[in-house]
This record gives sequence, C-alpha cells and structure tokens, in this order.
Amino acid sequence: MDFRWQVVWDAIPQMVEGAQLTAWITLLGIGGGLLIGTICGLILAFRLPLMHWLVFVYVSVIRGTPIVVQAMFIYFALPLALDITLSGFAAASLCLALNAGAYISEIARGSVLSVDPGLTDAGLALGLSYPQVLLHVVGPLALRRSIPPLGNQFIISLKDSALFLVIGVAELAQKGEQLTAQTGRALEIWTAVAVFYLLMTFSLAMLMRLLERRLTIL
Amino acid sequence: MSLIRCDKLCKSFAGTPVLKDVDLCVQGGEIVVLTGRSGSGKSTLLRCLNALDVPDSGTLEIAGHKLGRGQRSRQALRRETGMVFQQFKLFPQMTARDNVMLGPRKVLGLSRKESQAVADRLLRRVGLETESGKLPAELSGGQQQRVAIARALAVNPRIMLFDEPTSALDPELRGEVLRVMQDLAEDGMTMLVVTHELRFAEKVGTRLLFLDQGRILHDGEPSRLLREPPSERLRSFIGSIYSD
Ligand SMILES: Nc1ncnc2c1ncn2[C@@H]1O[C@H](COP(=O)(O)OP(=O)(O)OP(=O)(O)O)[C@@H](O)[C@H]1O
Ligand SMILES: [Mg+2]
Repeated sequence: MDFRWQVVWDAIPQMVEGAQLTAWITLLGIGGGLLIGTICGLILAFRLPLMHWLVFVYVSVIRGTPIVVQAMFIYFALPLALDITLSGFAAASLCLALNAGAYISEIARGSVLSVDPGLTDAGLALGLSYPQVLLHVVGPLALRRSIPPLGNQFIISLKDSALFLVIGVAELAQKGEQLTAQTGRALEIWTAVAVFYLLMTFSLAMLMRLLERRLTIL
Repeated sequence: MSLIRCDKLCKSFAGTPVLKDVDLCVQGGEIVVLTGRSGSGKSTLLRCLNALDVPDSGTLEIAGHKLGRGQRSRQALRRETGMVFQQFKLFPQMTARDNVMLGPRKVLGLSRKESQAVADRLLRRVGLETESGKLPAELSGGQQQRVAIARALAVNPRIMLFDEPTSALDPELRGEVLRVMQDLAEDGMTMLVVTHELRFAEKVGTRLLFLDQGRILHDGEPSRLLREPPSERLRSFIGSIYSD
C-alpha cells in the first residue's frame, strides 16, 4: 500500500474551504446554543411555571432523537410545513444551535444548582434582588463550573457538524466525500480529513483550557 | 418604636411545626441572645425575621416595614437587617474587599470609590485592613467571619442577626469574632444573636431568650436566668453546655 502525499497536497485548498465552513457552522451553532441553553437552563433551574414544561419538552425531543433526523427534519420537512426555504448552511447552523442548546441547558441548570444556596441567602440577606444575586454571585460561579462540560459540548458540536453532509452542505466531511470520489484515494483523503478535525478540536480544547485557567474554578 | 415586632409567628416545614405562635418585641439597642437545643427553631426564627424563610402566619414588622406578599416587601426588611451565618458564606470568587463592597455598590447604589471607602473603613473596624486583597479561601475561619460581619454592616442595617457565628470556629479563633461583636454592641447596634456562648450572653447580652420546641419558654435578664434557671428544661440545657 503506498501513501501518495501528492493527493493530500492537491486536496488541501478544498479541504481548507470545507474546514472554514465547518468552523462557521460550529461557531454559529455554539453561539446560538449558548444563548438558547443559558435561557433554558435558567428556566429549568428556577422552575419557572409553564415555561419549564416547554423547555422540558424541547430538551426531551432533542435528546431523544438522532441529530441526523433533526437535520433532515429542519432541511426537508420544516420548509414544507412553514412554506419557507432554508439554505443548507442556515439549516445546518440552526440544527446545531438547537441541538447544542438542549444539552447546554442541562449544563447550565446543573451549574446553577451546584452553587451553594447559602450564598444566595447571603446575597438576599444583603438586600440584593434575585436577579442581582444571579448576576453578581451565582452566575459568575456557575459560569466557572460550566466551562469543563461546555468545552466537551463544543467539541461534540464541532464533530456533529460532519453529518450535515447528508443535507449537502459543503463542510469538511462532505469535501472529503467529494474528493474521494474525484481522486479515488480514500486512504489519503480520509486521513487528511481526520487530521483537519483533530487540529480543530485540539485548538478548541486548548482554548477552553486557557479560559479555565483564567477563571479559577471555585 | 420597637425595631422588631412579631405577633403569633408560625412556621412549619412539610407539616412539622417549627415555630409556634412566637411573639417578640425588640427595642433599639437591645442585645438579645437566643439559645436553645438543636432543632428548637432558632435559625428558623432568625431567617423569618429577614424573610429568608417566609412565615406561614402571623405578622412581622422590622423597623416600621411590614412583611407583606411579594419580593419587594421582603427586600425592604432585608435592607434593615444584616445577617451573619454560621458557615460565613462569603462569595468565594471575590476578595474580602469586594465582598464588603457588593452591598454598598448594588444595594445602596454608591459609586465604586465611595464603596471602597466604606469597605476599607469596615475592614479596619474588624481588624482586617491588611487582608482586604485576599480571597476567602486564603483567610482563616475567624478572619472570614469578621469579613462577613463587615459585609453585613456595609449596607447600614438597623439590626444585626447572628446565627451561631462562632460554632464553626476553633476555640482559639472564637475570641476575635466575639470581641468584634462586643465592640458592635458597645457602639449601640441592636443585635439578635443565636449562640451557645453563655458567657457572651451574660457579659454582653441585655436579654436572653430560651427557645424550646418552637416557643419562647423564657425571656429575661441573662445573668438571672442563667444563675437561677426557672425551669428544669433550661437547667438541663445549661448543664449540657457546660458538660462538654
Ligand atoms: N428548609 C427546611 N426544610 C425542612 N425542615 C427544616 C428546614 N429548616 C429547618 N427545618 C427543621 O426545622 C427544625 C428547626 O430547625 P432550626 O434550624 O431552626 O433549628 P435550630 O434551633 O437552629 O437548630 P441548630 O442548633 O441545630 O442550628 C429542625 O427540625 C429542622 O430539621
Ligand atoms: Mg441553627
């Protein structure tokens, strides 16, 4: 078996393109997921009436179905139901955001509940309002605790973006498939694709480590 | 005008009554020591006074503010009271100084500079001006509790509530906290102190309440109650404290 470096070399420009798209989808997915997850997590942690049932249903649906099915649903079924058109890129980002959002709401809920309720008492006893206690006392502590599980989720989201090849988004994995078809060199192409993913997940992990070190976990 | 006035205060947890028709009236300047067996409802009474626990029935008035429904009336009570907890409960991510500054900044709405001045003055008052930049984890228990006292004082409460402020401390660290409390009492602060330190009750307290199964069983002058306990329950309670 010979490994043709030339194949890898020639494929690099296309792979970089795919990797960029993967990075964008992941970034939007994580960003949206953080927003959704924080709001839903707080709703769950404080058991806001009614809303916490809605969030419970949302989290259950997302956790209970494969992300491939979610992607198919958003790209193919949702446009029919709502009479809209979604680009593959939009569908992919939305899908990843909804998916990450569900897992992040559990992370957020857990980190908020892990903060000693005695600290909330201490804040309230000072005369702070509930929202102020959340903003100045519980929030900062919960944020620190959520960093390790968030890092984990970010990496999962990045890797999950590979399955958007099923809806034809030209991200890194889909490029891999195209390039394999063009060159017929599966070994070189998929090795290179794997290395690209590894570089991206590793950078993300390092970034989270850095953040973790900046905010000492208490 | 009395600073604390409560009538027929009742509180139960999951159907178990913990406070039963507690009536209490405290005037400005009184140092009320609250004692009683574990589970007699001392912490619950204290927590009802600043609405951390909400009474099931009865009326409560702190410095002219009636406890009503809703968060706003609770917040009004809490602004008049400062609370010190057994386990200190300092905010672990903030330095001693930031812990003390949070109240002035966010509750009183003072500027950063003014809040710093308040924090520095109070940390000096509790003898910790040199430790102001440290995190709670870098302080001893006694130091942490003194920061907690400064933090509670920083919003200018009319009444200070202490819930077993020295119980979590090694005996050699208790003195420094009790001294700060005595200074505070001598400055005329109104205080309600849950403690088993009966010597403190006699020396500093102006009034002793003995809580028994959710009721105030005795209410009187500390040295008289402690020297001639009027009931077998108080007598055996005092005995159990001095035996260990
Ligand atoms: N949040 C709560 N939920 C359920 N039960 C509670 C709660 N808080 C207190 N209790 C119960 O109420 C009773 C009185 O508790 P409280 O903490 O007021 O006693 P205490 O006199 O402060 O005792 P200690 O000396 O041990 O601190 C106890 O039986 C306790 O189990
Ligand atoms: Mg107690």
